[in-house]
Amino acid sequence: MLDSLSSSLKDALKKIAGKTVVDRAAVEELVRSLQRALLQADVNVKLVMQLSQSIKRRALEEEPPKGMNVREHVLRIVYQELVGLMGGAGKVELAPQTILMAGLQGSGKTTTTAKLARYFQRKGLKVGLICADTFRPGAYSQLATLAKKINVPIFGDPNEKDALKIVREGMKHFAGAQVRIIDTQGRHALEDELIEEIVNINEIARPDHRWLVIDAALGQQASEQARRFNDAIGIDGVLLTKMDGTAKGGGALSAVSETKSGIVFVGAGETIEDLERFEPDGFISRLLGMGDLKALAEKAEEVIADGDMDVNAIMRGKFTLRDMYKQLEAVNKMGPLKQVMSMLPLGGLQIPDDAYDVTSTKMDRYKVIMDSMTNAELDDPQVISGSHVQRISRGAGVSPDDVRELLKYYRTMQRALKGMRGSKFSMQRMMKRFGKMQ
Amino acid sequence: MFEGLRNKLQSIREKFGTSIRDAAGSDVREVEKPVEAPSPAPQPETVSAPVLPEAPKVAPAEPERVVPAPVKTVPVEPKKPEGIFSRVRSFVIERELVISEKDIEEPLTDLEMVLLENDVALEVSDAILAYMREDLVGKHRKIGSSVDDIVSTALRGALLKVLGDGFDLPAYIDSHERPVKILVTGVNGTGKTTSIAKMAHYLMGQGYSVVLGAGDTFRAGAIEQIEEHGRRLDVKVIHHQEGSDPAAVLFDTVDYAKAHGIDVVLADTAGRFHNRKNLMNQLDKIRRVVKPDLVVYVDEAVAGNDAVVRAKDFNDLVGTDAVMLTKADMDPRGGAAISIAQTIGKPILFLGTGQAYDDIVPFRPEAVVDELLGVEK
Repeated sequence: MLDSLSSSLKDALKKIAGKTVVDRAAVEELVRSLQRALLQADVNVKLVMQLSQSIKRRALEEEPPKGMNVREHVLRIVYQELVGLMGGAGKVELAPQTILMAGLQGSGKTTTTAKLARYFQRKGLKVGLICADTFRPGAYSQLATLAKKINVPIFGDPNEKDALKIVREGMKHFAGAQVRIIDTQGRHALEDELIEEIVNINEIARPDHRWLVIDAALGQQASEQARRFNDAIGIDGVLLTKMDGTAKGGGALSAVSETKSGIVFVGAGETIEDLERFEPDGFISRLLGMGDLKALAEKAEEVIADGDMDVNAIMRGKFTLRDMYKQLEAVNKMGPLKQVMSMLPLGGLQIPDDAYDVTSTKMDRYKVIMDSMTNAELDDPQVISGSHVQRISRGAGVSPDDVRELLKYYRTMQRALKGMRGSKFSMQRMMKRFGKMQ
Repeated sequence: MFEGLRNKLQSIREKFGTSIRDAAGSDVREVEKPVEAPSPAPQPETVSAPVLPEAPKVAPAEPERVVPAPVKTVPVEPKKPEGIFSRVRSFVIERELVISEKDIEEPLTDLEMVLLENDVALEVSDAILAYMREDLVGKHRKIGSSVDDIVSTALRGALLKVLGDGFDLPAYIDSHERPVKILVTGVNGTGKTTSIAKMAHYLMGQGYSVVLGAGDTFRAGAIEQIEEHGRRLDVKVIHHQEGSDPAAVLFDTVDYAKAHGIDVVLADTAGRFHNRKNLMNQLDKIRRVVKPDLVVYVDEAVAGNDAVVRAKDFNDLVGTDAVMLTKADMDPRGGAAISIAQTIGKPILFLGTGQAYDDIVPFRPEAVVDELLGVEK
């Protein structure tokens, strides 16, 4: 479904490509597939309609600037409008501050609270956590367990029913801390008493930030909820959680638009480190199901030192075991292979699922096996024959079958990458297109 | 739940009606009847009473029930009392009519927008439109059938098709060997543990004995959470330590139930994303060890399009027998219910509608459709 969606979007873009004058029918088709893509991503229906109206109007009325062809012109408009919708990334200061967490039940407030604590702790700030969730059973022990893992002090009392009292005492308790984060009970906008409670917490704690936690899967209800929370306490940032699922997070856009704020952090994973600053470009790509070269390039730069892995060489089909070794090393830092691949604009290309089907224990084993190979073998895996396999397996302390399995995995990856090179969406062309979009 | 969608559907229905009337042109006769004169009390009950029995009148499955003469009046806006006091109109087709696709294209588009706005996933709203189109386009409409009826029947049929059948849990338990093992699955934060506590409360109210298995050994605080529920409800909770093997915990829970003659085992699991192969494999292992009678998949009513994706993956990878939809009180729309039911074709068991143990409602598709279409009970 999703694949067909993004490819229909790409088809629509292609149709515009050949034209010298902006063609009304082509623009309308593009807008329609854009609408479907955004609706599928849970972006608010009204926002989608506004956006598509204004894209249509601008594409038909505005003259393309000199030196820019029609396709580039239309793409630029689409991109600009989408960025406008995003409202930019929310601000984070590395200064003393109090943060109040708000959100629906089960959106991930407690987990995100711990992740934020870790973020500020790593930046060298002294953090204190206040557990003001006095309702959900086990809420205190959940936060306490997480806080203990990262050695952050926590204030709370599982037997106390008065959240306001805990916040009052907790603020005193952590007077010396630099960053205070208040975790609250999940609530939704129709629960008046709970909304009143958070209004009171807000008055007692006088937080510098009131962040709304939004589950990536939240649908059209996002606007309404965000509006009510904003009316109650004034939201100044959105935290988008559970982006490691398949949800696109369009609900966060509705929240941003209602609260006139921005997305501050994105949570994508179950460990306490899985919190990232928000990047609008990557988010747009995910919404539309189109690749995001910018994020990939930046990520690759961060993780891999210059010359370590030559993306272009790989794209040309030269993919050695050495590349795979680096890839496996990088995978831990870059996220699962599938996620990395999804950031590449591969069009309708399907990579076989078993290529991703590598568990982390297997990856470690693969690395050990490759450590037992010679340089020649790493550069040209063709030379690895039966006796080589025997030697490598002895050296790595694994069975020859494991070595063969690794070689099989290598060939699967190589085939997948070759397919990528042969596909219609060549890397260079995509690079060019995205480069000019911005 | 569902108020938002209901109000929108009302206006869509009228729009369909108008389009079909326009298509029929002069072949439609308008019948007006002052209501206050013949009916003794213009209460909503008396006026809306004929709506229910009339609904299947023009259903293609039961053509023999077509009533040739416009005997009854149909309230066009049953939700507005003032309409009842003035006049109730009904448009009736005088000659045979074939509705073409063009006639209803505009209201269909409107219907799509309404469904999407109410979190019905894109592919599911496509399915509903397809049902509507199939039902309305090209069929011969008989003399005397009311336009409004044609529309409501088509809409009702389409909604019932996507909502599927309900599920009677007490009847299921009664007809199966005890203990009946219910395994609860779902992604993170949808409310599995809370739902288990509510289901335990509901089943105990029906006279069944229950034991809970703390199969979420991953999330910090999860065991404490379910233990606390057990304490409050006075239900035995079988648990190991955080980080232990969930399959072993749940196996022990089933053992306990067998030894103590307990009727129902409610097995909790850790929330997991459907795209995490290892975690889904673990769930599959749990399923093989526990051999549940029912796998209940829990998702939230506020979920958008992703609800469909993950419901499908859970169904494909570990199987789903029934669905529990939580947080239905957050959202008056209820599109996720429609989406999930259509996608995996499995019945919805319960709705979770609040924070208290009582906030659990058995799901009845007929009642929901009645509510959506504004039929008063």
